[in-house]
Amino acid sequence: MNMDTTFVLPNSGHNRDDMSSKMGMWLFLFTELLLFGGLFLVYMIYRFMYHEDFLEASLELNVWMGTINTVVLLTSSMTVAMSITAMQKGNSQLSLRLIWVTIFAAGIFLVIKFFEWSAKFEHGLFPGMEHYGHLANGERLFYFLYFFMTGLHALHVIIGGIFLLYVIRAIQKQKIRKDKYMLLENSGLYWHLVDLIWIYLFPLFYLIN
Amino acid sequence: MNEYKPSTGQGHDVHIVSYREHASTFIALILLTVMTVTVSVFGADLYTLTVLTALAIASGKAIVVALYFMHLKYDLKIFRAMLWVVIVLFIVFAALTLADYMIRN
Amino acid sequence: MSTHATTPDLTFFQVAKGIRSWIFTLDHKRIALLYFYSIVAFFLVGVILGFLMRLELIAPGKTIVEAHTYNQLFTLHGVIMIFLFIIPVVPAIFGNFFLPIMLGTDDVSFPRVNLISWYLYILGGVMALLTLVVGDGPPDTGWTFYAPYSVKTGTNVSLAVLAAFILGFSSILTGLNFIVTIHRLRYPGMTFFKMPLFAWSLYATAWIQVLATPIVGITLLMIVAERAFGVGLFDPSIGGDPILYQHLFWIYSHPAVYIMVLPAMGIISEIIPTFSQRTIFGYKAIAYSSLAIAFVGYFVWGHHMFTSGMSGPARIIFSILTFLVAIPSAVKVFNWVATMYKGSIDVKPPMLYAMAFIFQFLIGGLTGLVIGALATDVHLHDTYFVVGHFHYVMFGGTGFAFFGAIHYWFPKIWGRMYNVSWANIAFTILFVGFNILYFPMLILGMMGMPRRYYDYLPEFQFLNMISTVGSWILIIGMIIMIVNLINGYRKGAVAPRNPWGGVTLEWQTKSPPPLQNFDKAPEVSEHGPYDFK
Repeated sequence: MNMDTTFVLPNSGHNRDDMSSKMGMWLFLFTELLLFGGLFLVYMIYRFMYHEDFLEASLELNVWMGTINTVVLLTSSMTVAMSITAMQKGNSQLSLRLIWVTIFAAGIFLVIKFFEWSAKFEHGLFPGMEHYGHLANGERLFYFLYFFMTGLHALHVIIGGIFLLYVIRAIQKQKIRKDKYMLLENSGLYWHLVDLIWIYLFPLFYLIN
Repeated sequence: MNEYKPSTGQGHDVHIVSYREHASTFIALILLTVMTVTVSVFGADLYTLTVLTALAIASGKAIVVALYFMHLKYDLKIFRAMLWVVIVLFIVFAALTLADYMIRN
Repeated sequence: MSTHATTPDLTFFQVAKGIRSWIFTLDHKRIALLYFYSIVAFFLVGVILGFLMRLELIAPGKTIVEAHTYNQLFTLHGVIMIFLFIIPVVPAIFGNFFLPIMLGTDDVSFPRVNLISWYLYILGGVMALLTLVVGDGPPDTGWTFYAPYSVKTGTNVSLAVLAAFILGFSSILTGLNFIVTIHRLRYPGMTFFKMPLFAWSLYATAWIQVLATPIVGITLLMIVAERAFGVGLFDPSIGGDPILYQHLFWIYSHPAVYIMVLPAMGIISEIIPTFSQRTIFGYKAIAYSSLAIAFVGYFVWGHHMFTSGMSGPARIIFSILTFLVAIPSAVKVFNWVATMYKGSIDVKPPMLYAMAFIFQFLIGGLTGLVIGALATDVHLHDTYFVVGHFHYVMFGGTGFAFFGAIHYWFPKIWGRMYNVSWANIAFTILFVGFNILYFPMLILGMMGMPRRYYDYLPEFQFLNMISTVGSWILIIGMIIMIVNLINGYRKGAVAPRNPWGGVTLEWQTKSPPPLQNFDKAPEVSEHGPYDFK
């Protein structure tokens, strides 16, 4: 095949560039924000309509477990941000370790969530269970929203964790390096989104005073 | 508004945030968390004010995460502009919907 | 991006053969054609469903189906036409094919994401068709899936709704791709304000696709959750509010109609200058109006809910906002007509479809104002007036723009010409059939005939019969159009680079284009994209 006579456009191949990649990731994050946004809208309306019930139901949630989870996620945001700094400075090893810490933090978050949910199941508070059926309307809406929203959030924690595992492999294979780390940055952005959503979930479910 | 640039390694100015800056951001977030938990656990029956306070503190944390951890403070303005569009959109959705419910009751 | 090691002598069709080279392609032009064939296939299914509906309605009482089946017919007709046809048709086909070429580049920003969005489209389409054959059959809720009925009915709501979710994801990925492409891949020297207006329309549309679709996504998931867990999110008997579902549903579905119409308007903005051989009147006004429609369009959703029980002041706010959004649309119509004034009008098939668009969109838009006004909507909500209105804008508008786009870009895509005389005949029959089919609906609505009813009072029969006959004429016109196009594809005359005298970049390259879109450097005029010398 004759490449000499082939005409190539000046911006050909630039769909590989980092700015495009970052913009694409941000646009995807916007869709996630609005996805959860819809749920926050529902929460807002029903909290407005059933203020007392929401307060009553929220007392079942353990503020301290929620707070620990918040601290855990904030820490993980810091470590993933630091891993990017490390990569920018050429320290792949440190970067790798910081990502492992991030993943570990994700694991802790999920374990605590697991205990919280198990406690609810034991009390029969999941939609369809017996005690749930006896609750007031507003309380049932609270619990449904609690499970739906924290569940959807936990799903995103898992996805974020898998994304970070993929990034670890890429670093080990040198596909992410000091001069080429957009994938790491994008995974960090996704991870911060997961943190952001929890930043709002926490006070709205656990701290209704 | 011609943003065509030849492709470099980064496609944007390489600004390296120091570990110290990340740690400071983290401390700020922890402080805000402490604040919000304290207001709730010890702050008592402020009802609407509690919601607004909680949302305000949460938004403060969100802004810190977005500007610093997510690097928006140092990125090209287009990213902040786009995020503003999303925020404004959501606020109007919430306001118009809530207005319907508040008027009905 | 695919390899550059091919000579520009080969068209993009010739560089690789066989079905695998299509199903796994990363070439935006092939992906556009994959969309074209699949979208047209689903469109024809939707047409058949519409044909059956009109057959039922030719006379009062049962004609060919029972009431329950009729409900399923109009639901599936709506789901297919909206999610599988009208929303993706222009962006996924002509956007994918021509956006990179018009911008002077060789692909979109994320070619693999582009292919995935087609896979998702096919998956969603298959799921939607599956509702026909599994369980209790397709949903009978209407395409709007209003709660609480959608939660209680035994038909395949969950499957249909999950199909819509997947299709929404496909739409989001297309929009995301286009936004980044437009920001990052314009030819050097082509600023935002030197882009063709079709690109502007795709840009505004892409923002709606990205920001509005997730809301309906989560709402549909809530319907599935409610069906699965019986929670009462929208069920009043257990504390929920059905109007909340409507709010969430329409927060997406109103902006969705701008996803449907903005790219079509973009097509008209391309066709009119070419067939008037004049630069577009008010380029910036049209560009800004696309953004304005997208922006204001987010805030008018309540006009679908005027009779639902929403609060009075809220209704007034939404009515005022609805009137506001009509203004930028009117700006476009004025500018198109002004472009034609003292132009050298060439009445070819694309121009016929464009002029029909203006006429039909005008009727659709004006009737939209009638139902946007609170006082009149109270009488016309859920009547055939609404059905007439949206078919005028969506079919008479976007549908005809789609047909016009096919006739405009056919020679460029396939490198052949169709028979212009037969195309004109097909257009005439289509145009006549369309108006006979839908205009009576406006009258029927004002007479009080409700929509989504399979039976009606005797005084409505005459106009219903006329409308059904109109549907037959319309279908004949479509058949002639399709046959003529297929003939053109198989044995039409070879098309030159620029059969219509257009000046946007796609007319500088070969017909069909080579794999990398251009065989020589495109010339970007410094006077803007519609530089007719």
